[in-house]
Amino acid sequence: MPRQSKTTSDAREAAPQTGKIRRLHLPQKLRNLELFLLILACGINLGAVVLVQLGALGQIDTTLVLLGASLSGLVFAMHIVLRFVAREADPFILPIATLLNGIGIAMIYRIDIANEEAGWASAAVRQTVWSGLAIALAIAVLLIIRNHRVLFRYTYVAGFVGVSLLLLPLVPGLGREVSGARVWIGFGSFATFQPGEIAKIALAVFFAGYLVRNRDSLSMVGKKFLGMRFPRLRDLGPILVVWALSMSVIIFQRDLGTALLYFGLFLVMLYLATGRLSWVLLGMGLFLGGALIASQTLEYVNGRFTNWLDALNPAVYDAAGGSYQLVQGLFGLAKGGLIGTGLGQGRPELTPVPQSDYIIASLGEELGLAGVFAILALYLLLVARGFRIGFAGQDDFGKLLGVGLSFVIALQCFIVIGGVTRVIPLTGLTTPFLAAGGSSLVANWIIVALLLRLSDTVRNQPRLVV
Amino acid sequence: MNPSELTLLVLRLAFLLVLWLFIFGIVYALRSDLFGQRVRKMSTDAPAAAPVPFATPPPAPVPAGAFAQPPAASASAPTEQFSRQKAAPLPQAGPEKATAQTATRLVITSGPKAGTEFPLGTEPVTIGRSSDSSLVIRDDYTSTHHARLMLWHDDWMVQDLDSTNGTFLDGKRVAVPTSVPLNATVKIGATSFELRR
Repeated sequence: MPRQSKTTSDAREAAPQTGKIRRLHLPQKLRNLELFLLILACGINLGAVVLVQLGALGQIDTTLVLLGASLSGLVFAMHIVLRFVAREADPFILPIATLLNGIGIAMIYRIDIANEEAGWASAAVRQTVWSGLAIALAIAVLLIIRNHRVLFRYTYVAGFVGVSLLLLPLVPGLGREVSGARVWIGFGSFATFQPGEIAKIALAVFFAGYLVRNRDSLSMVGKKFLGMRFPRLRDLGPILVVWALSMSVIIFQRDLGTALLYFGLFLVMLYLATGRLSWVLLGMGLFLGGALIASQTLEYVNGRFTNWLDALNPAVYDAAGGSYQLVQGLFGLAKGGLIGTGLGQGRPELTPVPQSDYIIASLGEELGLAGVFAILALYLLLVARGFRIGFAGQDDFGKLLGVGLSFVIALQCFIVIGGVTRVIPLTGLTTPFLAAGGSSLVANWIIVALLLRLSDTVRNQPRLVV
Repeated sequence: MNPSELTLLVLRLAFLLVLWLFIFGIVYALRSDLFGQRVRKMSTDAPAAAPVPFATPPPAPVPAGAFAQPPAASASAPTEQFSRQKAAPLPQAGPEKATAQTATRLVITSGPKAGTEFPLGTEPVTIGRSSDSSLVIRDDYTSTHHARLMLWHDDWMVQDLDSTNGTFLDGKRVAVPTSVPLNATVKIGATSFELRR
């Protein structure tokens, strides 16, 4: 006996009808979540600036608040663009990047107040303008690159662009030397730019494309030794070329951090593509060997090692180019303690370059351990999202690119924060999103745009093809 | 006016708190990524003994074939509903409907990719030859946008999108959106699939 209820529900009366097929309008759950998080992030950014003003000036001044509001406007514009061109993109990446960028601006502004700089001389104003430019570029990337596989076509172009950007600062007349490292280019007296930051994106694209094309010969053949399959001698070509490139960065551009960044990126992508630990061991051996030789022969590398190992020795502390900066940063971090002195109430300006290389020490002083861990957690989440996108990706190029781009952020954080906290020798690199510096912001926002694009394609892919 | 020490202390602690709230908000939002999809209680085992009353009506024990009639006979999708008191002690009669709770995967049962499966979420599954479908079937009998599976009040429904060669549920051509019973064969072109637990 069919048990049929006589009562019919009105709601079910409106079941979908065949006939005219209308476009299915789904609520954009991901985008709404992103909007909510963005509002929260912009609120925190505004709060940070207000706290800096209350702490350092004792009153609220509206100039930078207005600038910050215009920045928030641009971020919301990016959100709206995502609603149209990348509906399924990851909802966490944009709010995290916004928050990191905003905290950075607040801290730079705080140091401007201490140095009594205002107007165009103020680093915070410049940083805000650069952020605007970077976000506009990120929007452009989202609009232009509708599918990441387009990049696969330009593998070798990307490689050429990457290497030439890397070598650009060595061109006489164009390159500029700032505090020993020749990694800047400038036109006349204004607009200095660090092309190496953009090069890391181009190189990630190149490595991904190259490894997808050639990984078979790099992973299949070779002799087994100590339980690992080691590559043939003639397959060592690519790793030796990248190694030589990073060694030349150490020698000619005098920049340890950049060299470590590129070589680490290549190594990780090689490991991802082949799944063989022997490549990592081989590469780490090569790099450590090279760095050791450099520390014996190159004076500046030697100095970095001395500052690291013997930082609290008064002779090293007082020496020109000694550990003064490093130790001041450590003192600042110690002063911050667990919850910090409060924004605007510490003395981060006592450390040289507190707004760029040492911004994490400045933040550690004013926000304390709790604040620094919050920032590290934000990086962790950002990088984890990138790895997740790579993990969920279905084409190998997308996988490699997603993981490579997010690993570059992770490695850069490790190199610079590890240097400031004296875990590894200090090398000059920018803290992604936080540190003052236009080229770094532009590069990192482009990475954000590429990750968003990747995550959108990954989610939109068919689940099964018969 | 200078804010007092106490105000600054409170503000500074509040700032750190909000910062961490933001982080935990993100972690909460992506918890399914970290710990996997939530395990759902099977609502069919012992409906009377279940401590939590049904949020949704229990599966209607009406054969799905009843709905796959010409539009004139049943213009609307399943309209049967039980009151909770009545339904609870009743044993299961006909085939069980595939609901958001019971159906967890789509399994291809015949065709070139027989044996493969993918998990069902709550989003609709579009089926067709075009590459923007969730389930792409590339054979001569499939239309570009052939059919779709979607949740209608928690039940999986199959809707034919005016395809040339039709969508068949248990051998009957689907004319109106029809609810899909668990383990019933849906045939599109040379491929058939089932929704399973």
